Amino acid sequence: MPSEMAARQPGDPERREFMAKAVSIVAGGAIVSVPVGVGIATLVSPIFGEGQGGIKIRLAAVEDLPGDGSPKLYQVVAERTDAWTKYPEKPLGSVFLRKLENGGVAAFNSSCPHAGCSVGFKSKEEGYYCPCHESVFLLDGSMGKFCVSPRGLDSLEVDKDRLKDGEVWVTFQNFAAGIEEKRAI
Amino acid sequence: MKEFFNWIDDRTGIAKLTREALFESVPGGARWRYVWGSTLSFAIMVQFITGIFLWMGYSSSATTAWESVYYIQNEMSFGWLLRGIHHWTAQIMVILLVLHLVQVVIDSAYRAPREFNFWFGVILLFITLAISLTGYLLPWDQKGFWATKVATNLAGIVPVIGGDLQKIIIGGSDYGHHTLTRFFALHAGVLPGALVALVVVHIYLFRRHGITEAKPATKAGALYYWSLLGVVFGALTVMAFIFEDSAKQWVPWIVSGVFAGIVVRIAFLLIRGGDDDSASRPKRDGMFWPDQILRDAIACAAVMAAVLFFVFWKSTELTAPADPSQPYNAARPDWYFMSLFQMLKFPVFKGALGLLIGAIIVPSILVTAVFLMPLIGKSRIGHWVNVVMLYLLIGGFVVLTAMGFNHDANDEDYKRGVANAHADAKRLNELILINGGIPPAGALTLLYSDPKIRGARLFAANCASCHPHGGGDGMGGEVKEPSAPDLKGVGSREWIAGLLDHKRYTSAEYFGNTKFKEGKMAGHLDDIEMLQADIDAVSAALASEGRVAGYSLPEGGQKFIDSGFDLMFNDLECADCHGIQGEDEGKGPSLTGYMSREWMVNFVGNPAHEDLYGKKNDRMPSFLSMKKEDGTVKEGQLSRQDVELIVGWLRGEWPKAGDVEK
Repeated sequence: MPSEMAARQPGDPERREFMAKAVSIVAGGAIVSVPVGVGIATLVSPIFGEGQGGIKIRLAAVEDLPGDGSPKLYQVVAERTDAWTKYPEKPLGSVFLRKLENGGVAAFNSSCPHAGCSVGFKSKEEGYYCPCHESVFLLDGSMGKFCVSPRGLDSLEVDKDRLKDGEVWVTFQNFAAGIEEKRAI
Repeated sequence: MKEFFNWIDDRTGIAKLTREALFESVPGGARWRYVWGSTLSFAIMVQFITGIFLWMGYSSSATTAWESVYYIQNEMSFGWLLRGIHHWTAQIMVILLVLHLVQVVIDSAYRAPREFNFWFGVILLFITLAISLTGYLLPWDQKGFWATKVATNLAGIVPVIGGDLQKIIIGGSDYGHHTLTRFFALHAGVLPGALVALVVVHIYLFRRHGITEAKPATKAGALYYWSLLGVVFGALTVMAFIFEDSAKQWVPWIVSGVFAGIVVRIAFLLIRGGDDDSASRPKRDGMFWPDQILRDAIACAAVMAAVLFFVFWKSTELTAPADPSQPYNAARPDWYFMSLFQMLKFPVFKGALGLLIGAIIVPSILVTAVFLMPLIGKSRIGHWVNVVMLYLLIGGFVVLTAMGFNHDANDEDYKRGVANAHADAKRLNELILINGGIPPAGALTLLYSDPKIRGARLFAANCASCHPHGGGDGMGGEVKEPSAPDLKGVGSREWIAGLLDHKRYTSAEYFGNTKFKEGKMAGHLDDIEMLQADIDAVSAALASEGRVAGYSLPEGGQKFIDSGFDLMFNDLECADCHGIQGEDEGKGPSLTGYMSREWMVNFVGNPAHEDLYGKKNDRMPSFLSMKKEDGTVKEGQLSRQDVELIVGWLRGEWPKAGDVEK
């Protein structure tokens, strides 16, 4: 076959050989890049998808919260879609609610902004404590004396209008851990 | 037969291949110290075999992962053994990898021309760690879930690409089905594929270069190595005592114990040691088959024995299913990542930059240093540097790991987290048996509808800020300032008898911290001074209304109960205020159906109802939705189902494993 080709297409054999090699490599690469490319496109697709965003949910009535300003932990269970499954009630996380002296309510996501463990509440004096890397947060969510976290607890938006009616509605959201900026995910 | 083999060999060249594989010369003879590579190959093989069989029973989705692992562990014949071998071999493999690395570095087997093989080996080490990390999540239990959340959050702090990287790894912005499918594909497909490819290259290169012959040891050489070890462990002992920060002191003792052992060894060498005379012995090369393979086989058998020992001794953990809304105080990585985890607690790694340095930059520098070993170790001094560096790395790893475990052993929150996760898992096993299987929505739904687990949690979250339960919050936690009756045993004869005793009624155990301490009932109890016999009869009568779990007819039977009601209607004047047995509802709480499920649900739902405390209600909130006077609805704090779960738990009513026959 090569000799026939050579006979039909006279020219520099070395150059032709180079062309053959180059075309083989390029064509081979192009063919392989189809499945690999498609695969990678699906792999990285979560980057382009939108996050689930904040979810507005009623957690309590103001009068249910302790009057002394100590926080109470509320589970966030809401409708959620995870890939192909739509859960009517899915546990999403938990939120600390705390009555403020000015009549308002403060809400914090209980997920530690350091690495994402669940933060617990110890006492008004000791504040919140993360059982993983031992960060301490003060009652108002700010960083305590010993705190390896890059920022204080993530506060969540409390609906002021509903608060007037005595209802605590919170926009529940998760934030990227390990960075100073409070970035929603 | 021979002709048949010849026929095959003619077409495959198998005879030559087998000869090459088996009849490798082992210079200086077979040795025990050459077995590590083979034990590792064996461990990898065990993982492939058990992994493939586990794969046949595993289903990677958020509603089936835990469930399928539960089934493998508890229902499939020998599933527990299969999973146990896979789990424990993975743990032992990490140790074998480190031993293999130590031996390669000490024998300077990374020197030319073996640099590439060393690098492939290091990559293999990291692939193995990645397989372990991804495997940790697959059971989708609390332990794996929270550890993976931490690990993937750390991936998220990589500058620039971190956020996207994290999304790619977990398959979106939230943990769920795609986190599992991705981790499973990595764990069972991508990473093992890469592992096999590299192991083939690793072994090919090993065969190409031949075994690195262990050098004949001199007394001076041996002293050098042991002294080096002594210096390293001496330093580690000092470090361990400096960092020692808790009551138990066994961490420094381990390191100092090793140090003492090394000192003894050095002393022994100085007194009795001599040069290893193997160099002067007539040199006799061994053969891989069967000399070395026999040793390898014995070592592999020892590995298998160790694995089985752990499977039978410690069994294989499966905590409760993953639940992001259920705080888990025991979120920890597997032990071989514990040192990194512990390191991040140090204030020097504080803040975003500190975390980046501690979690990404420091480990990257250490990995780079290991990669550079063949280049550093070209000279004799360089080789010493490598050996010291490796000992320091391992020593640091040991100290940090021990510090982490020591801290946890003394941390009440951690211990309670582990105990609760185990209790949940145990209860879930019972519930699955009672239910005859797991519902399609997953095992978590069983826990969420169980009064014993969910009721206790709801009580701790919603009631225990005022009401203690046996002094605590019902979940092992404490109630800081109890201000309402302790509800342990509520509705039982004993509990009601306490209520009728004026002294106890006005104590903190019942209403001592409420306004009822000074109320009409307290005064009435003080006035009438009930006899013990009356208290017994009335509590028997009232307990017969609620019939909480464990209720039985009192001694004296129905007659005794009737006598109690008779006292309440007549001598004790209870009926003046309370409705009893459906008659004459007074101003005080109705005692008709007292502490029955319905009564309690109504009470928790709205204690200020006119049949209950009415306007005299102290601070007890209404937990169910109810209409206000202006006609609007006040949303309740809890759903009716939640209130029923709390009531079910307080009444001790939950399905028990003994109720069904397996």
